[in-house]
Amino acid sequence: MPQSSSSSKKHGTDQPDIGGPASKSQRTKMVKSSDDTEKKNLAKKLKELEISVPIVYGNIAFWLGKKASEYQSHKWTVYVRGGTNEDISVVVKRVVFQLHSSFNNPTRVVDGPPFELSESGWGEFEIVITLHFHNDVCEKPLHLYHHLKLYPEDDSGPMSTKKPVVVESYDEIVFTEPSEGFFSRVQNHPAVVVPRLPAGFALPPPVPLEDADKRRRGDTKDHTLSQWFSNFSEADELLKLAAARQQVQAHIATLRRQLSLIDGQHQQLKSASDMSKIGGRCSSSTGKVAFTSETGE
Amino acid sequence: MDAKDILLGLPKPTTTPTPHGHQLLPLPADKKSRPPKESQRKPDGISREVYALTGGLAPLMPSVDVNHLKRRAQSENEKITWQWLPFTSSARKDNLQLYHWVRVVNGVPPSGDYSFAKYNKSVDVIKYTDDEYEKHLTDPMWTKEETDELFDLCERFDLRFIVIADRFPTSRTVEELKSRYYSVCRAILIARAPAPGDIAGHPLVKDAYNISQDVERKRALSMVLSQTKQQERRDAEVLAEAKRISEARKAAKGTDELEVPAMTDTVPDDNDGAAAAVDSLSPSPNAQFTSGAIAPPVSEIASTLASLRMMRVYLRTHALEQMVQAASSSAGLRTIKRVEQTLQDLGVNLKPKVPTKAVCAEHLELRKEILTLLNLQKQLQYKEAEGSSYRDGLYAETPGTPPKRVQRAVEQDRTFVPDSFSFGGERMGKRDQKRKAPGRLLEGPPSPAQSKRPRKFKASDG
Repeated sequence: MPQSSSSSKKHGTDQPDIGGPASKSQRTKMVKSSDDTEKKNLAKKLKELEISVPIVYGNIAFWLGKKASEYQSHKWTVYVRGGTNEDISVVVKRVVFQLHSSFNNPTRVVDGPPFELSESGWGEFEIVITLHFHNDVCEKPLHLYHHLKLYPEDDSGPMSTKKPVVVESYDEIVFTEPSEGFFSRVQNHPAVVVPRLPAGFALPPPVPLEDADKRRRGDTKDHTLSQWFSNFSEADELLKLAAARQQVQAHIATLRRQLSLIDGQHQQLKSASDMSKIGGRCSSSTGKVAFTSETGE
Repeated sequence: MDAKDILLGLPKPTTTPTPHGHQLLPLPADKKSRPPKESQRKPDGISREVYALTGGLAPLMPSVDVNHLKRRAQSENEKITWQWLPFTSSARKDNLQLYHWVRVVNGVPPSGDYSFAKYNKSVDVIKYTDDEYEKHLTDPMWTKEETDELFDLCERFDLRFIVIADRFPTSRTVEELKSRYYSVCRAILIARAPAPGDIAGHPLVKDAYNISQDVERKRALSMVLSQTKQQERRDAEVLAEAKRISEARKAAKGTDELEVPAMTDTVPDDNDGAAAAVDSLSPSPNAQFTSGAIAPPVSEIASTLASLRMMRVYLRTHALEQMVQAASSSAGLRTIKRVEQTLQDLGVNLKPKVPTKAVCAEHLELRKEILTLLNLQKQLQYKEAEGSSYRDGLYAETPGTPPKRVQRAVEQDRTFVPDSFSFGGERMGKRDQKRKAPGRLLEGPPSPAQSKRPRKFKASDG
């Protein structure tokens, strides 16, 4: 840091450093004067960047089997987790799950990871999941909508208490124009996809606020339900999309060829009909000529 | 004895109703006459006049229950009289003796100061010594006499500057007087304060009187006040117009910012007027792209991108939805359905299961390409229709090989594509068989609507 180097010069001895004390102070001066423009450029770059956080949200529901009663037939958990099971609390401050009004205190607030809520019931309904972010991230909350699923899609025999019904959705939270603080705080965090700043720009790494242990607990890698988590890989989808695009592009090329071919044909016909017009063929042809000249362009 | 008699008693000859309603006759000592007299007397608690409003004494039952009426407090215990007495007021500095009516209770007049004396408030106008004047308050525009006079008037008239201005010997405007007064007070305040920090929060020190601002403010106010109705209307119009322009300019600026990287061709970034910017936006895309259907979505896409950026936080699926909508903004519902059908045929999810940035981008591009494809197919059909129609006309006698060859080639190419890709092309054959006669466009001038019908023509006709 320029600051630290100048202070070391003040305190420290005149160490025969790489550039020598004189050049160090020079460097300090230079950096300081270009600091402002650098800051401006950095700010501009940050404006164009977007930070995204992959998440997966959904529910896992177990049939209670023998213990099931009329009103409590399933035990379910609704949750939001990081896309790769990393800890999203670096970005998410708290999550509010809005349940059906028939539940006691239908507004459930979860203040830290893991962002999940377990309940028992019998009904399927839409749960509104509101994500609240830290102050330096974003002031607006974000809403997710998840339809709670308890009963399996297919009536494949008797329900099992061992195998739950799992419905998960993958999505990504996109933050536009991230603040410098936010950017530097998360730039190396595994839960966050941060684009690399273009060459020449860099943000100092932040002082780690929490110890590693605390951080680890927030992820869902060893979650009790993690065996039921789905794997979302973009590779399959990308492949399929690429193949589809190729097909479509090939077809487009073919069509373009045909069109130009036909255009050529039409030109020929047009000139032919013009000649026939001169030659004065059957009366219908004049009508035809009128037609061609109109649409021949 | 009827009820009236019971209530009123037997009327005595002496109690005759007079023009004034009823009269209080001196109560005779005998009891017999008292009840009727009582009832004819006005009831307690309300004044006689009020009671008279009810139409005089009620003959039977009193309409007003006397107990319900407010009783004047302690009107029985005390004797109340009203006296014309002199009084003094602490608010007066002279010895003027004034008189007023006083409510005397049991012979004791009320004590205490005149009740309105407490409203005699005045302003504490600063008094400066000559010394102070010499040191801090001299001003080229003001003589000491004038300043003294000003302060005297301020004291007398409690800082009512309008009055002071009137009374001021030399002609000074209200603002000048105010300025002098406040600046003197401020200077004194600062001079007398033990430390500058003490009075730093004082309003006089913090926000000093700004004479030019005040003059300007009053001028503006008077202008507004004296505006004619016409002027008012014109001002409102201008303001609305300005608002519209600035908003349009903001929107155009947002789209301009994103347009520039998106389009290689020149979109003149002229901010002269929002209208100009928007106009330059629409023609240039048309110039760039050959297929007209793609042109309008470019501006839609740009504005969608802008609005997404404004949102600061959003879900990628939401963003994709918006972009898909923007890209298909020029397409009708049928076309959109076709796009979705095509996607399904290609084995692609209508909504990506793993919507990462890359996947969403690819998905969007794929959709756009499918739109292009459909457009081209449509174009091809039109062209073929045209071709077949005048081919048939010209070569009616000679169903020549060249046209047929072309058509067959075209058809062959089309079968290259899996069947499900069609949307009317292949099925042309079946429909055509239902048609009766090839009575085409010999009738009238061809119209665009008519040229659509040729779609039903079998390609290999004639």
